Amino acid sequence: MIRKLMIPKELGDSVEVRLLEWCKAEGDEVKVDDAVLEFETDKAVVLVSAKQSGALRRCFFGAGDWMKPGDVAAWLSDLPNEPLPGAEEVPEETLIVDFETT
Amino acid sequence: MSRLFFREALCRAMNEEMARDPRVILLGQDIAAHGGSYGETRGLFERFGAARVRNTPVAEAATVGIAAGAAAAGLRPLAFITYLDFLMLGLDPLVNYAAKLKFKSAGQLSAPLVVKATAGAKGQGPTHAQSIESWLMNVPGLTVLAPSTAGDAYGLLKTALRAPGPVVFIDHKRLFPLGGAVPDREELVAAGSAALRRDGRHVTIVAHSYMCVVALEAAELLAARGIEAEVIDLRSLWPIDWGMLADSARRTGHALFVEEGQEVCGVGAELAFGLRERVAGLCVSRLGARRAPVAASAVLEAYTIPQAHGIVEAALRLLGGAARK
Repeated sequence: MIRKLMIPKELGDSVEVRLLEWCKAEGDEVKVDDAVLEFETDKAVVLVSAKQSGALRRCFFGAGDWMKPGDVAAWLSDLPNEPLPGAEEVPEETLIVDFETT
Repeated sequence: MSRLFFREALCRAMNEEMARDPRVILLGQDIAAHGGSYGETRGLFERFGAARVRNTPVAEAATVGIAAGAAAAGLRPLAFITYLDFLMLGLDPLVNYAAKLKFKSAGQLSAPLVVKATAGAKGQGPTHAQSIESWLMNVPGLTVLAPSTAGDAYGLLKTALRAPGPVVFIDHKRLFPLGGAVPDREELVAAGSAALRRDGRHVTIVAHSYMCVVALEAAELLAARGIEAEVIDLRSLWPIDWGMLADSARRTGHALFVEEGQEVCGVGAELAFGLRERVAGLCVSRLGARRAPVAASAVLEAYTIPQAHGIVEAALRLLGGAARK
């Protein structure tokens, strides 16, 4: 199963956020509780960690890029070698994640 | 250009000006280790130390009073007022002392302080969300600046921190979540210079601070109806860029003034009259807050304060000839 990692649609009053860094690279295994990425709102730094295991397959933004709430930041797959869909297809399933705000 | 959050643009301006001029000091609530109500002073306490980045008690009269006195004695204080409403407590030292000092001393003394205050409604209700900048335009000796973008916040705050006399720098709660382009190299924005945000030939819409964002939304809606609105961001409420306003108004023949503060005796009242004196035959209209306190309810707040659709209606009425010729 291919899953999308989404910036939450409702993110307080944030209009835009900035990607600070990926904690994993494309192709890396992601275990439960692993940090995946860190982004910044106008008020806080948000660390996103996985609540299910898989592999980080494709990142759509780079460090320093600006994203909007609801943007798909990455695709992950349950198994490391699952074929990825075409660019125009959007995975239905959303990766379960946890947010830690500092 | 780099894209920065609004708070980062302010922080960069303070960083640069504090490094450039050791007389610049900061006074305000929670601005030291906490980094400011909006994170706009993050890192400044660590870089410049406790003598130049000073927390103050919840005592705005004292904060502005100390800033005015320190300015007269040779420093360049920047006083933070968390919400513009609270500046009411500091009006006496600002208006009666700082703004008058140059005149009372025949130019021998001055009080170059900057008061930075955050205006605007975002759910805080009647006493924490007012936009009272038009009161300040009434005071001889005060410069009043109100940017709507991160880039202008940077350039205008730097200008404020070098100005010869007192400046009130007004930002807005709804501007902080937005990012914006900020020049990579040092760049100042002069007081008294407005900015053309959108070209149009049918009607000139004049706004400042967050209302510029709303006016640009309205201009999009008007464009869908075939009406090309020119949007001017005042940036500076005093001095006023009459040249840019008059140039645009001459071309469009219609000027609509939009503000979040009260319409009665508001920014638009002054600008509409002033522009009529400069541009013969100009049709003018204005749109400000309804004559009621800012509501805490989101629904009532939106009803009280101009929204994009209300600006569209006001522009259509103006162009329809309902406004005074």
